[in-house]
Amino acid sequence: MRKTTFPAVLSTFFVSYCFWILLTWSWATEELIAGAVVSLAVALFSARFFIHNKAFWFFNPAKFFIFLLYWVIIFPVELIKANWDMAKRCYGGCRKVNPGIVRVPVEIKGDYGQAQLANSITLTPGTMTLDICEDQGRDYYYVHWIDVAETDRDKAGDIIKGTMEKWLRRIWE
Amino acid sequence: MSLTLRIIIDVFLAVGAFFALAGTIGNLRMPDTFCRMQASTCIATMGLLGVVIGGLLYSIFIMHSPSTTVKIIVIGLLVFTTNPVGAHAIAKGAYRHGIRPDKEMEIDDFRRDFDE
Amino acid sequence: MTELLIFSVLFGAFALLNVIRLIKGPHAADRIIAADNSDLLIACAMILFSLYSGRGIYLDISIICALLGIINTMLVGRYLDRGRWKYESDSEDNN
Repeated sequence: MRKTTFPAVLSTFFVSYCFWILLTWSWATEELIAGAVVSLAVALFSARFFIHNKAFWFFNPAKFFIFLLYWVIIFPVELIKANWDMAKRCYGGCRKVNPGIVRVPVEIKGDYGQAQLANSITLTPGTMTLDICEDQGRDYYYVHWIDVAETDRDKAGDIIKGTMEKWLRRIWE
Repeated sequence: MSLTLRIIIDVFLAVGAFFALAGTIGNLRMPDTFCRMQASTCIATMGLLGVVIGGLLYSIFIMHSPSTTVKIIVIGLLVFTTNPVGAHAIAKGAYRHGIRPDKEMEIDDFRRDFDE
Repeated sequence: MTELLIFSVLFGAFALLNVIRLIKGPHAADRIIAADNSDLLIACAMILFSLYSGRGIYLDISIICALLGIINTMLVGRYLDRGRWKYESDSEDNN
């Protein structure tokens, strides 16, 4: 089991306190004190699950800006394209499917980047990550793909990941 | 309230309803379990996004209520961050439990690597 | 604004359509996916109805609804995965 470190607790405390303020949206003193106590308890219990290294990464403004840019502009474009494709497939009688599970390579290192890329792949309709594995020093995803257009693993990986992996590498490395 | 704002909100809500209906139809008519999961991602992404953006515009410009705005943002963030986690869990669990598509898959690396 | 109520009813109707798959789904995975979708659509309908009626309490209920839906999905997913709660790397660390 991993150890709870002080920077991890501080960072988790800050994020949960912001979340408390967002949820209550009142500036009375009692609310603020109660929020501080509750978020400190939550941070003490759960910091070791959330943060393993680089605790203050999230407060780096340049990277946070790229993070916001990714989730506000880059990702929604991919999302709308994939959604439109899926909607055409659904309204067209659900017959044009050609499913398969492909093992695609991942170039990102580190837990956060890999988790975020897997979540992005799952959120775009048409591709869904099943599992992650490691083979001879490289990481691979198993991706369920509803319309297999390419059976070669590397080219399939390029089609599935699109522009998302480039931007996520820019954030997390 | 101005008519333009009302039309914009209606367009966002209609886009949400369009994709939610697409996900529902896919959920009802797709041939196997994994394809149904794929189709239902439409509901959690574009359906919810349309409703959240329309609701945000309504709560900011017509209701003028900050707490409503913040709560709608919290719902959107919550669903967007937690929905893929549940999708991973249910897809992997279904595959390992032995649920296979009726038709043979085009390519199946998962069975090749973890042959039972 | 009457459209909010109309769209709210529409989303509720989509949730009811998902219940068909919940009843006739051949596997547990189909049922839990349909239940999750139904839950999300009810959350959407509740957001719109809250905006229409102007009461904040429905938004809180909607947050709880979305939160409980995801917990259900993960529980059933883990149950289908032969009760494997830990990954292999974790068990190696403990031993």
